[in-house]
Amino acid sequence: MNQETAMSKLRLRNVAKHFIAPRTGQLTTAVTDVNLDIETGEFVCIVGPSGCGKSTVLNLIAGLDTPTSGTIEANGAPIVAPGADRGVMFQDYALMPWMSVHDNIGFGLNYGTPGEGLTREQREKRIRHFVDLVRLNGSEKKYPHQLSGGMRQRVALARLLANGPDILLMDEPLGALDSQTRLILQVELLRIWGETAPREQRKTAIFITHDIEEAVFLGDRVVVMSTHPGRVKAIIPVDLPRPRSEHIRADPRFGQLSDEIWDLIRDEAYRAIDGTEAPAGPKATAVEKVE
Amino acid sequence: MTTRTAAAPNRTHWNSVLEATLVPALLVFAWQLWAMTLATDPRSPSPTHVATTFVDLVSNGGLIGATLQSLGRVVVGFGLALVCGVVLGLLMGSNRRIRDIFDPIVESFRPIAPMAILPVAILWFGTGTPAALSIVTYAAFFPLLVNTVHGVSRVDRKLVLAAMTMGVPRARILARVILPAALPSIMLGSRLAMGVAWTAIIAAELGVGAKSGGGGSGGIGQMMFVFYAYSIDLNAIVVCMIVVGVVALLIDRLFRFVEYRLMPWRH
Amino acid sequence: MTMNVTNHRVPEQGVSRAAGVDDPASSQRSEPDAAPALPTATKPGAIRRIVSTRAFIAVRSFAAFLALWYLLAAWVGNPIQLPSPLRVAAALISLGADGELFDHALISTTRLAISLVVAVLLAVPLGFFMGLSPKANAYLDPVVELLRPISGIAWIPLGLFIFGVGDVLPVFIMVYVAFFPLLLNTIAGVRHVDGKLVNAARTMGVGRRAMLRHVIVPAALPTVMVGFRLAFAGAWAAIIAAELIGSPSGLGFAIEWYRQLLMTPKVYGFIVVIGIVGYLCDLALRALQRWLTPWAEGMELA
Repeated sequence: MNQETAMSKLRLRNVAKHFIAPRTGQLTTAVTDVNLDIETGEFVCIVGPSGCGKSTVLNLIAGLDTPTSGTIEANGAPIVAPGADRGVMFQDYALMPWMSVHDNIGFGLNYGTPGEGLTREQREKRIRHFVDLVRLNGSEKKYPHQLSGGMRQRVALARLLANGPDILLMDEPLGALDSQTRLILQVELLRIWGETAPREQRKTAIFITHDIEEAVFLGDRVVVMSTHPGRVKAIIPVDLPRPRSEHIRADPRFGQLSDEIWDLIRDEAYRAIDGTEAPAGPKATAVEKVE
Repeated sequence: MTTRTAAAPNRTHWNSVLEATLVPALLVFAWQLWAMTLATDPRSPSPTHVATTFVDLVSNGGLIGATLQSLGRVVVGFGLALVCGVVLGLLMGSNRRIRDIFDPIVESFRPIAPMAILPVAILWFGTGTPAALSIVTYAAFFPLLVNTVHGVSRVDRKLVLAAMTMGVPRARILARVILPAALPSIMLGSRLAMGVAWTAIIAAELGVGAKSGGGGSGGIGQMMFVFYAYSIDLNAIVVCMIVVGVVALLIDRLFRFVEYRLMPWRH
Repeated sequence: MTMNVTNHRVPEQGVSRAAGVDDPASSQRSEPDAAPALPTATKPGAIRRIVSTRAFIAVRSFAAFLALWYLLAAWVGNPIQLPSPLRVAAALISLGADGELFDHALISTTRLAISLVVAVLLAVPLGFFMGLSPKANAYLDPVVELLRPISGIAWIPLGLFIFGVGDVLPVFIMVYVAFFPLLLNTIAGVRHVDGKLVNAARTMGVGRRAMLRHVIVPAALPTVMVGFRLAFAGAWAAIIAAELIGSPSGLGFAIEWYRQLLMTPKVYGFIVVIGIVGYLCDLALRALQRWLTPWAEGMELA
């Protein structure tokens, strides 16, 4: 599963990112030693306790940040700047509050590179197509603040897809939703991603979440990250069949995988709350010394 | 039952009218009583005299002309301040280095009250319109600048990042993301600036009038000073004060209306 | 020190510059010692660190401003219109030496202080009354709304007639100007006290007086302080106008007096003093605000 091939869609090699705190001038390592190969059509979830650098990795792939060291390649070419081939869905969606649903979905088409060479009618058609796809017909004229959280998420998803990106980068896109809506949108996300299509036709997706079950439900592989400094702790292949439905949660394998990942994270998750140690669990793994 | 439901809103309506008018009406009544009985100075203003003076001043055209003159200065001064304030504000808000450079200068001019500029303005421009205009522009500049900087620097960075990931060029990000995102602040700044400008023009015209022996600057502020210094017509002064208040109110309402129309996503 | 990398307030400058927008987190804080973030991961040298501090940039800006002023003055060549900064400095020194500067500044700040105290004594209790009693608010609010649009400046001619030229006029104008922001902010502060706090206190059996003293007043205080700073800003603008037109003393009087004498360096000197005194008063108010409402750091003037 994790063997290296020359055809990797995305390849991260020894990636590290340091920050300097503005006030203290203190050097902080956000992530280090990140090695990751992602194949075309793969759905990769990244989980980890807060502060493990999940979002940093995503920003680096998006080109919003540059790594301090190491290389990131998409389709064999190094990433130097943001580009519409790598679409990003932000945590709280980053919808333009002054634009209607329709205009938000068309933002990249109307003002960015994805719309280049398209006539007005073509862009309109494309916007309408994605409005249909995320089932927002009838809400095109509404402003984001008039929508529910789930609807906003769909607008963000439609905007992401309307730009026709090769790679989907999603930063906790379901994090702000209530748990029922989450479950529904997880299934919907897989449908829109193209779960039923053959693998070569699917988009490549990287999905950040702090919800372990969500990661297992969605992903082909789950990358588990740890803190201090942020690094990849393990990569867990998810051998659950696709297409997946809600009922797959009842599968014993689903529980096993979730458990396995929780065991990798629990100590640090406890520490992240208040610095206390996790109660001795059956499989508590050793963690690196903090600081 | 039907009569009660029909009468209830009616009663509350009358109630609110009563609430809104009772105390002001009592005050006006007391003022009139005072003017007719207790006031020793025959020049003391009274509501009835204020009303007749208002009719006189409007019918001879002086009041309307003076008000329009002041308003014209305010509009021009505001326009100048708008251009300067928003352009500099966009630069300072979007570029840390420019802000660091200009911030100390702006902050040291801000506590200098607009009227403190008057003597300098008179030295430079004499007692005419340019002096008044410079004070209005100066007064309106700071609310516009400060609010633009505030608005631009508080633009949700994710919106900008999102636009970047969609390959939107930088100039277009400024026009399509930063400017609309900062618009609420800029509009607030405009409304504040216009209020300040209207006060400043009254002050400037009063000051120019007071310090140039009446002077030929015109405007409603100067009109007030002439009524004070030459004809000692207190009723006319009160008329001018009321006009100043009404214009201020109208300006405020107009800007709120424009805000409402320009930013439908905020309602 | 953990970096919360899940939000986007990362102190990295490459992005923010390219994006054209600064880090919103650091722009909200205004402590002068907040050194700008450095773009590289290498440790900066001591000189670079000094050169990039806010203080250094401020000094550089002032130096550039003074140089521009100097050149402009030389170019205008008319010391009555625009004296050079050196002459203004000399005028400031001589004004300071014979004490005139401090006399006028003291007169103005005394008037300001008296006015603000009077305005607080009038507006804050009335604001609490109107904020707590909807009935009182319904009857009194129309009067407030009728008077508020009439700016304090417009009262000057009538005030001149009533009080004459002297101390009372500037104080009257400033009290009037300071009254409305204080009143409206007090009402708003009292009205917007979180109902949950009041209910929480009620469930603990807190009485009316204790409720006012320990819940409503502290909850409303930050808003009242914002009103106080707005009141100061308005009063400071008004005092210059009031003194300039209707007073034989004070900073506003002084600038116009020396203008008439065509002693322009002193005019500019007093304008500088107006700026400095205004700035110091604002600093004092900020300190007062921090001292009285330390829990309300985020609240700022619009």
